[in-house]
Amino acid sequence: MATFDMRDGRAEVGAAAPVQTQAFDVVVIGGGPAGMAAAMAAHKAGARVAIVEREQHLGGILRQCIHPGFGLSHFKQELTGPEYAQRFIDQVRETDIALFLDSMVIGIDRGSDAPCASDVEAHTVMLMSPTGMLRLTGRAVVLAMGCRERTRSEIKIPGSRPAGVFTAGLAQRYINIENLKPGSRAVILGSGDIGLIMARRCTLEGISVEGVYELMPYANGLRRNVKNCLDDFGIPLHLSTTVTRVIGHDRVEAVEVSQVDERLAPIPGTERVVPCDTLLLSVGLIPENELSVAAGVELDPRTRGAVVDQSLQTGVPGIFACGNVLHVHDLADNVTTESERAGAAAAAHALETGAGVAADCELTVSPAGIAGYALPGRITAVALTKLSFRVRRPVDAARVRILAGDEEMFAGKVRPFKPSVMESFPLPVKVIQRALDLGVNEIVLSVDPVEEG
Amino acid sequence: MAETFDIAIVGAGITGCAIARRLARFDLSICVVEAANDIALGASKANGGLVHAGYDPAPGTVKAQVNARGCELYGAWAQELGFLFCRTGSMVLGFNDEDRAHLEKLRQNGLANGVPELAIIGPERIHELEPRASAQATCALWCPSTGFVDPFEVAIAALENAVANGVTFMRSAPMEAIEVADSGDDARFTLATPAGDVRCRYLINAAGNGAAHLSHMAGAEKFQMVWRQGNIVVLDKEPRTLMPLYPVPTPVSKGVIVTGTVHGNTVITATAAVREPGDTQTYASDVNALLTGARKLVPDLDTRRVVRAFAGGRPVIQGTNDFFIGQSAVVPGLFQAAGIQSPGAASAPAIAERMELVMREAGVELHERADWNPIRRAPDDFDRAPLACKEELIESDPAWGQIVCRCETVPEAEIVAAIRRQPGAVSVEGVKRRCRAGMGRCQSGFCQSRVVAILARELSCDPSEVLLEDAGSWLVEGPLKGVR
Repeated sequence: MATFDMRDGRAEVGAAAPVQTQAFDVVVIGGGPAGMAAAMAAHKAGARVAIVEREQHLGGILRQCIHPGFGLSHFKQELTGPEYAQRFIDQVRETDIALFLDSMVIGIDRGSDAPCASDVEAHTVMLMSPTGMLRLTGRAVVLAMGCRERTRSEIKIPGSRPAGVFTAGLAQRYINIENLKPGSRAVILGSGDIGLIMARRCTLEGISVEGVYELMPYANGLRRNVKNCLDDFGIPLHLSTTVTRVIGHDRVEAVEVSQVDERLAPIPGTERVVPCDTLLLSVGLIPENELSVAAGVELDPRTRGAVVDQSLQTGVPGIFACGNVLHVHDLADNVTTESERAGAAAAAHALETGAGVAADCELTVSPAGIAGYALPGRITAVALTKLSFRVRRPVDAARVRILAGDEEMFAGKVRPFKPSVMESFPLPVKVIQRALDLGVNEIVLSVDPVEEG
Repeated sequence: MAETFDIAIVGAGITGCAIARRLARFDLSICVVEAANDIALGASKANGGLVHAGYDPAPGTVKAQVNARGCELYGAWAQELGFLFCRTGSMVLGFNDEDRAHLEKLRQNGLANGVPELAIIGPERIHELEPRASAQATCALWCPSTGFVDPFEVAIAALENAVANGVTFMRSAPMEAIEVADSGDDARFTLATPAGDVRCRYLINAAGNGAAHLSHMAGAEKFQMVWRQGNIVVLDKEPRTLMPLYPVPTPVSKGVIVTGTVHGNTVITATAAVREPGDTQTYASDVNALLTGARKLVPDLDTRRVVRAFAGGRPVIQGTNDFFIGQSAVVPGLFQAAGIQSPGAASAPAIAERMELVMREAGVELHERADWNPIRRAPDDFDRAPLACKEELIESDPAWGQIVCRCETVPEAEIVAAIRRQPGAVSVEGVKRRCRAGMGRCQSGFCQSRVVAILARELSCDPSEVLLEDAGSWLVEGPLKGVR
């Protein structure tokens, strides 16, 4: 009886292969906006840095984002995605940052299990490319792998499985990179920013867009994208409506859409068949953390990114995370800012320049009210900490409150909040100190709707 | 001009491919005629991959005879054909005394059917065998011989081996007409297909859901078939593969089963509802029933991580609920393998063995060839290869280092091999079934355009001619700008 028992995992044999090793202070995984910003910051801090990128080019997904809207906060100038990326590519190219392009990371090990805390242990990053396998060691590793798109299967759209159902990003690649037309008549499900951008792109490329359908009672993308991409082109946005069936055996022939109730369940009797040959899905992004999990990094179920501390270090010492692999951002500019912090912190860890600057502590940060998540999830040093969050639903009037035990330590102004916007604000040292003085081990970030008088 | 063969097998599902592989050892010319453009595109495609042990068919039925035997043969088939097979054993979980009585009945059934080593076990042993099994389970039927395979891989491997031994594979050849000559000459049957006519002396009906139609066309038995549709859900990979866990079966199906797969995913299989023939749609109610049913067996299952939901029809002969394997009583020379519903995949090697026996008994002369090679070398699998082999592969060809599908770690060289092997992939889904490019959690969001480019290059066609699956499933219309 032949039994190939793989229940004990994928133990690799013959690991004595002559794989070459190269040593760095900081190894950055991913050459998109997050990876490049982290690498530049680590380089400026004096670290020897490597970037590993699976594509032939740096730039990540920005390469196919040919629309404008990038750089307004970082460069005070409106750029397209490729232009925004190019600024960083040029900077990286001027340094001695080692680039491993066309290289795919197949594993990060947890470093040696040496208990000696003061000694910085190197992590090992195994990568492969058409030239072979290579092992990099890094005293710090920055995870900057970005995210992937949610698929049809994850949102469980029933019906047949013909050609013509594409994630918006895949359609964007076909159109903007491959110069291929994915169809003639499209329905777009999801009003996330990529969906809105693609509604406009399709229209400009001669693909008629029958409409954008959104499950929620509000648009999920940025306000400016609703205006610039739908309103200006007369593309209808149907809120509280979703696709309930894909029709067509070989190629999409139509989709059935239905209105949904307040619990987001389709309302029987509201079905409508919309003829089309293409269904584009812009139904959410998911941080790509398979490598992180394999390296022992703990994830936050809310963000599906790593649980990090104020310096964006994960639970595994020496492994940092930033950009969309940590939490899905609204703007590339915010990715850049966050990643510069991660890169600097990774360099400080690798070069042991950060130790002893701030007193140690151990606080968790939890979201409450309509806050969907709070980042960082841990505070381990009494230092100015940047808090980021998003709300789960739009409100006209709400305020941010910081609570420790029963005490309200901070209350912000009453103002509107939208799920499409990533919010952040600095948490002062005195608030952290106060929480410690109170003897609590948790700070709560609460966003609470208020009744307008 | 029609080509003439000793035997034509209609249908390249797991049944037809297994029969072709079994008969390829004999000194006969054989042609496998398939309506679709690839292997395993019917019921075999919508299959949970379980190699059921054979304790549930009623003793004395054909199913009972071929299921346990098929399960037994899988070990040897896996070794010879180089496909992945995990014999993990399985448990049917019981939650109360009524279930326990049912489990005892199943055990008796299994003993009668020749299923080895069945035992009723208690909670402690259950959790020793599968720590994630529901703590509510009070008893279980432990069946060590159950296993699982990738059903496409089995069909593809069997047909590759058959083709390597001289069998002809004719794709995109749906049956238009069958002419049966009165005399028992060398080519009684003439099969008309758009891909050309085929003449043969013996005809084997392994047409799955098309078996009744084929039988009618040949003027043979008039099977009444129903389309017992099943939805199946695939979840993302787990660090540790789950052992197959079954609920106590219902009269029409085995119920919602949770199982690991050979690639480390989790599969929830399958609903059973009689629907319109040809309906392969998934239904929200079915998918929800699967997820709910699965959580009863494995409470901590993360059912948000759905990679794929799909559906297919079980070819069920109305009334008997059994397989029909034998020579037609109406048209001599026509051999039927009809009604191959569940447990068809588990039984496939034994169905092939039985078909050989049936043919011998009918007087078909089967002489073993001296040059028959039972071994099929599996394609290199980069993801599974040990580090040293990975190095060697990349050294042999840099395309082994060029990852196309990141979720499943599939390099370009593996995709090229999937297209160039015989019979090779001719579509994006065909590539996926052979080397898993696009099978993972992103469902080809990152790699589809690259796979299209590789297919276009290898098949010397335009990207607009590349198909997702079969005819009509175009992916892109053509270039947007510039010279058309």
